Amino acid sequence: MRKYLLAAGVAAAALTLATAASAETVRFWYHFDNPDNPMTSLVEKFEAANPGITIEAENVPWNSYYDNLYTAIVGGDAPDAAMVKLFAQPRLLEMGALEPIDDMIASWDGKDDLLDGILKINAGPDGKQYYLPVQYVVLYLYYRTDMFDELGLTPPTTCEEFRDAAIKLTRDTTGDGQVDTYGFGFRGGKGGHDHWLTLTLPQVEGGLDGGNLTADGAVAANQWTVDLFQKDKVFPPSAPNDGFQEIIGGFKQGLTGMTIHHIGSSNGMVEALGDKVSAVPVPACGPNGEAWTSYGDESLAVFSSAEDKDAAWKWISFLAEGENNVLFNKATGQLTVTKSGSADWDLHEKRFVDATVNSLPFAAVLPSSPATSDFVNVVWPTSMQRALTGDITAAEMMQEIQDLYGSE
Amino acid sequence: MTRRRKGGATLPYWLLSPAVVVTLFIVFVPMAEAVFLSLHDYLIWKPTSFAFVGLKNFITALGDEVFWISAWHTLIWIGLTVPAQMLLGLVTALLLNRTFPWRGLARALVIIPWALPSVITALMWRWIYDANNGVLNDILVRIGVLQSAFPWLADPDSALLSIVLTLTWQGFPFFAVMILAGLQAIPSSHYEAADIDGATTWQQFRHVTLPGIAGVLVTAGLLRLIWVANSIDVIFVMTGGGPGYATYTLPLYAFIEARTSLNFGYGSALAVMFTIILGAFIVFYLRRAGRSLEA
Repeated sequence: MRKYLLAAGVAAAALTLATAASAETVRFWYHFDNPDNPMTSLVEKFEAANPGITIEAENVPWNSYYDNLYTAIVGGDAPDAAMVKLFAQPRLLEMGALEPIDDMIASWDGKDDLLDGILKINAGPDGKQYYLPVQYVVLYLYYRTDMFDELGLTPPTTCEEFRDAAIKLTRDTTGDGQVDTYGFGFRGGKGGHDHWLTLTLPQVEGGLDGGNLTADGAVAANQWTVDLFQKDKVFPPSAPNDGFQEIIGGFKQGLTGMTIHHIGSSNGMVEALGDKVSAVPVPACGPNGEAWTSYGDESLAVFSSAEDKDAAWKWISFLAEGENNVLFNKATGQLTVTKSGSADWDLHEKRFVDATVNSLPFAAVLPSSPATSDFVNVVWPTSMQRALTGDITAAEMMQEIQDLYGSE
Repeated sequence: MTRRRKGGATLPYWLLSPAVVVTLFIVFVPMAEAVFLSLHDYLIWKPTSFAFVGLKNFITALGDEVFWISAWHTLIWIGLTVPAQMLLGLVTALLLNRTFPWRGLARALVIIPWALPSVITALMWRWIYDANNGVLNDILVRIGVLQSAFPWLADPDSALLSIVLTLTWQGFPFFAVMILAGLQAIPSSHYEAADIDGATTWQQFRHVTLPGIAGVLVTAGLLRLIWVANSIDVIFVMTGGGPGYATYTLPLYAFIEARTSLNFGYGSALAVMFTIILGAFIVFYLRRAGRSLEA
């Protein structure tokens, strides 16, 4: 009996070792809001085509995605590949966590199918390629066509028109003396920097890291934004804490007449509002008609700690190819990065695709600096909330952001 | 015989050693690590710039506005939450100690807030307080207390107090159950004797009930004080510390510095400072409570 057990144990150990040697495992992190996501079918398709590779795909909640990623890297437990955004690239590079993929892209069949120029936008600060784009969006202005029609308004093209429309939209519709509808759903919580940048940045010479955030024009632009809440009262009172759920929910319910988001939420908007919702590029707020909107990127990267980088590359390049990429974007509701996928794109209504395409000429990304992660995650949300609630002035808020970028 | 004695003498240590080793590794090693990190500049995304800086992080904290804001909030947080939980728990326990129909069911139901996971409690209350769809605003507007919906968690003046109320609701059953156990340990003969002596209900409460549950109050109060002081989950889920720094407490500040800003050196220094302050407070509390118990 003893001999039998020993033999069985040795056999089991040998089998485990053999399996480990023959199948490479790629640990992949991603974040999808949609729980009904197609990752399982993509993994099955990939594994069928690549029998030696097993994919362990883990959906990590967005709110703590980067906190988890950075600590996993430092703790030596980084995934082999992951979904990543441009703002994190400088910090990930500083950590030595990214693997350059120029050679792999050069010999990859799918590279010619990528949209023109998209690799360049995602290039690293040192000119090397670490990110392989997988989807993109551009932020635009949603507006309620029914409310605009009722008030005889046209979608705003400048910040003055925007303020004017927001003031008119903010009103008591039931006659009880209380405001029922607000002009604009402002995202004052984490992730709302894109709203603020659209309204403020065009007035800042040199951009966020240009050292001019405390110039008179820049402070005045921020004061103007803060006044929209404090004086004009065109944001809902909950705006300082509002996040994605609140701005989208408020817009769908008719609490707000405008908000800023991207095509990823358009299908849900149409489902809730039908043709009562449309979109245009964000208003131009610069002194000479300059506009700024956020190019919302999402890429894939191979980590330098990956044991089998070729297997990780095979998996991420698989996700960026033609129909796989279309399937991937069906789940996220964003736009494909491939020419073949774009050719017969039918996942979104045309008016939202048009608003996206028309916004591309002035869409930009945040500065490629390690400070940007702190700006997005800590400094902007805290200082914006403090400015909105009157804890600090608009000038003090600009000083805090200036100090952050100045310290790098 | 001698050998057997020797073996017998070391056996208890061998039996205890697994627990001691585990405790050393999961409690004392991280504690020592936190103290070690607090003496260094350590941004975890800059792994190459790890440098010993002595007490610099502690001195920085003393000059840091956010540290003092957080310290003040921590004081309010503990000072309001623990007494409120204790008072509500005491009232509940006194009610549950009376005889009434369905008492068993009431005793079971009262434990629900305590049994719910903190994240569920926080999410539930976030929706209750919601400015646009929240039930609290709806009720207050309907009964005419408020003219219009109030953003409880988005207003810096009400955000912390709103979370204090949530935590009071969550934690009072713990006191209720502990105090109820204490109440049932008081012999009924004490009340009968007091009754014969002509003591009023208040006098019975003051001179029989309170001394009878004093030990429970001190112990439960101490446990809750430590738990509430360190509790960040409900605040983190409800406001994330915002708006601005309106709901920052010291442990939350340490957490955000380490986890979100990735500044492990400064975050550890904040945590170490808070541990020292809390430790000193607990020693003071135990001495005071011990003295009053003896008296």
